Amino acid sequence: MSDPDITSCRTGSDHLVVAWLGLLILSLASALVTMAPVPPAALGAGILMLALIKTRVILARYLDLAGSPAWLRGFTMVLTCFSAAIFGLYLI
Amino acid sequence: MSDTSLIDELPGELLMWVLIISELLVFGAGLIAFMGVRLTDPAGFAEAQSHLHRTGAALNTAVLVTSGYLAAQALHWRQIARRGAARLALVGAALLGVVFLIIKGAEYADKAAQGISYETHPFFLFYYLLTGFHAAHVLAGVAILLLVAWRDAPRNIEAGAQFWHMVDLVWIMLFPVIYLLG
Repeated sequence: MSDPDITSCRTGSDHLVVAWLGLLILSLASALVTMAPVPPAALGAGILMLALIKTRVILARYLDLAGSPAWLRGFTMVLTCFSAAIFGLYLI
Repeated sequence: MSDTSLIDELPGELLMWVLIISELLVFGAGLIAFMGVRLTDPAGFAEAQSHLHRTGAALNTAVLVTSGYLAAQALHWRQIARRGAARLALVGAALLGVVFLIIKGAEYADKAAQGISYETHPFFLFYYLLTGFHAAHVLAGVAILLLVAWRDAPRNIEAGAQFWHMVDLVWIMLFPVIYLLG
């Protein structure tokens, strides 16, 4: 059916390096947020927001969905709903 | 017509995406159940969470995203015919997977030394279930990365790397909920 020598990968090397550095910076930011003297609601929102951004970077660059905007939007929407549900349960 | 083209937009094999979505749903449901059970004893969950080693888990996040970078880079290098570099990157990604498992093993050993098991508190039941199931995926991913480093057709590398990125994605969802939201 498909040629094993052809893939649909469209993400270039520079984009991958930027994505990797971005993920490391966002991970460091997550660690710093937990040490900040902020109310629990702001802490939870910050932690989940950073995680959501990280998932989007992985989907867009590592999983190469940057070239499939409709799918990237769909995944982002579902993950945003998931994060909102977690945040809601955290606040109760 | 438009449905077909939307499916065609997905990079790689459709079945890999079915697997990725299934895994995200399974872990997502597990994490929502975890937060739901937390409502029955928030103080107990916060106390149990204080026994976790956040630094080790944060280090594991850096290890996995770096490993994911190497897997993604391997596909890029294989496509521009840098076959040796691609294989090396895949072996590097697999080795970082092993590092993840070593750190995770040390974390489990520390819990065991404290006398903590899955029976200690419902928090730890979810902790062992979710992180253990994820670690099993890491183990499978290491084997897959080594397999595609050996059988290195671009399509094989693409499928192996996609599995690995799924493992990465699950950890990114799991880490804040289990380790940080006290």
